[in-house]
Amino acid sequence: MKRSNEPIAWGLFGAGGMLLALIGPGLVLATGFLLPFAEPAAAFHAVDALVAHPLGKVLLLAFIALPLYHTVHRLHHGLQELHAPLPHGLVALVCYGSATVLTIASASWLLVR
Amino acid sequence: MTRKPYRAPQRWNWWLKNPAYRRYLLREATALPLFVYALVLVSGLYRYTQGQLAFTRWLEALQAPGWLVFHAVAVAACVLHAVTWIELVPKLLVVPGISGRSIKRGHQVAALIGSALVDAAALASWPLAGGAS
Repeated sequence: MKRSNEPIAWGLFGAGGMLLALIGPGLVLATGFLLPFAEPAAAFHAVDALVAHPLGKVLLLAFIALPLYHTVHRLHHGLQELHAPLPHGLVALVCYGSATVLTIASASWLLVR
Repeated sequence: MTRKPYRAPQRWNWWLKNPAYRRYLLREATALPLFVYALVLVSGLYRYTQGQLAFTRWLEALQAPGWLVFHAVAVAACVLHAVTWIELVPKLLVVPGISGRSIKRGHQVAALIGSALVDAAALASWPLAGGAS
């Protein structure tokens, strides 16, 4: 029997769900309402300081990657539950593929800084 | 050899009639605005790598009414996600000697503190334009 990737997908889904539950509302409020109306230079330097620190890089990557994997998991299964007439394998590839590509892109942007 | 189990036909709108199914799908639907929100974060990180001017343009774009409405929807979706997620934690996290109720309460308190800490850190490092900084 082919080994399933579901435990990995569920692990990332669970981690993302917990992260979004524990700090999500505050995070959306911070970047959606506080950051855009902040002093632009101060906002840029705050992100600069976060990216300069290895722990800050890890935090930023977690804030981006875990919600990505969490949400694509739900969207993937939601489409199935709504009986969307789409090939299952293709939907899975697009969902987890896009999350992975965006995670690798974000990680590389954080690393070159 | 592939099995071909019989599958009872089910219409796409099976969830419309039952309130519990509607709540379930609303919970699953919170993923849609939160996925877009994650894309907004990715775009912000990308604009940051392009330098201070590009990052400032990104911040200005987020001041548009459309994005403010989107973020209001995203906050509401995330609160619904948090409430329903923590509701389920006692089913997954069973600790001998600690009641499920206490585990749930603990996570609810942690979520309130967690979100408050993020916003406090944000307000401390990003003085609001025009405000007392």
